[in-house]
Amino acid sequence: MMNVYCFAGVPVRIQSMYDAVNKHCEEYRFNGIPSFDIYTEETDIDFERKKAQEIYGLEQGSAIWTAEELEIIAVYRKFAEKMPEYDGFVFHGSAIAVDGKAYIFTAKSGVGKSTHTRLWREMLGTQAEMINDDKPVIRFEEDVPMVHGTPWAGKESLSKKIAKPLRAICIIERANQNRICEISKRSALPFLFQQAYRPYSRTGLEKTMKLIDQLDVRFYHLWCNMERNAAELSYRIMSEIKEDNHED
Amino acid sequence: MKIKEDFSVFQMENEYYLIPTGGMSFKGVIKGNRTMGYILDALKEDTTQEKIVAKLKELFDVSGHEEDVEQDVKQAIEKLRMVGALEED
Repeated sequence: MMNVYCFAGVPVRIQSMYDAVNKHCEEYRFNGIPSFDIYTEETDIDFERKKAQEIYGLEQGSAIWTAEELEIIAVYRKFAEKMPEYDGFVFHGSAIAVDGKAYIFTAKSGVGKSTHTRLWREMLGTQAEMINDDKPVIRFEEDVPMVHGTPWAGKESLSKKIAKPLRAICIIERANQNRICEISKRSALPFLFQQAYRPYSRTGLEKTMKLIDQLDVRFYHLWCNMERNAAELSYRIMSEIKEDNHED
Repeated sequence: MKIKEDFSVFQMENEYYLIPTGGMSFKGVIKGNRTMGYILDALKEDTTQEKIVAKLKELFDVSGHEEDVEQDVKQAIEKLRMVGALEED
């Protein structure tokens, strides 16, 4: 199967073995000249299967993913590898847009980024729209970091083919008491490096680090429970200009 | 010994970050201060623990703290070794 798609403003021609890739990326089909090509082979599927086994254990890793699903992941990885060449990088987080600005919540897996953006959607209704619930791309376009939806969007495939300028990144940790504070980029850096896609190539890695260094947005640290008042607090603070610690 | 090509250093003010490429088994980030910065810089070329200690003693006034310097270097190198960042014969 060979088709052209446009992810994060970059046209890509994908030649895949299975049609599942096309179905997965259908919304991103594009009529135009690709900037680069992605090919997949059996070795790519074997590679992804091995990685799944490393993460989930031998039996589960083999059982839970079909070759079609592994190919979708292989395509994602090849795309993510190339992004730094186009001034972008994939970032592990839940990205939501409100009033035309993007907010990304990031945390270790299972902490509650998706839950938090779901609370924002419940609270804000149509004022909010999901950009991508798992792997948005941050890409600099005329020096502005834009957050893009991609077809790789987590368990519920929550994503939209839109792009909004990044306003803030928020690191979430669980706590009983809700608290948020704005932090310096310096404080956020270890998390940013941890949550950005890490290229296999050194050049790609160094470019990613350079792009992270360029980020001139707000950074927050949020300690919260998974209740509505946590979302009310985070939205109130992140959507306004505040400099002090705030507690709920 | 020296730092592997698969590890890259990022500096912001007086903080240094050592980050591996995606293919490394270490998936974290090592963060260090100015001392770590000098150690990482020294490890760009093939060197030894003793040479690094000697260099730090030369660069800073460490009178009365020689053992601390040796200990700091030893611990830093051990950390780098543990995460697979060192290329050693």
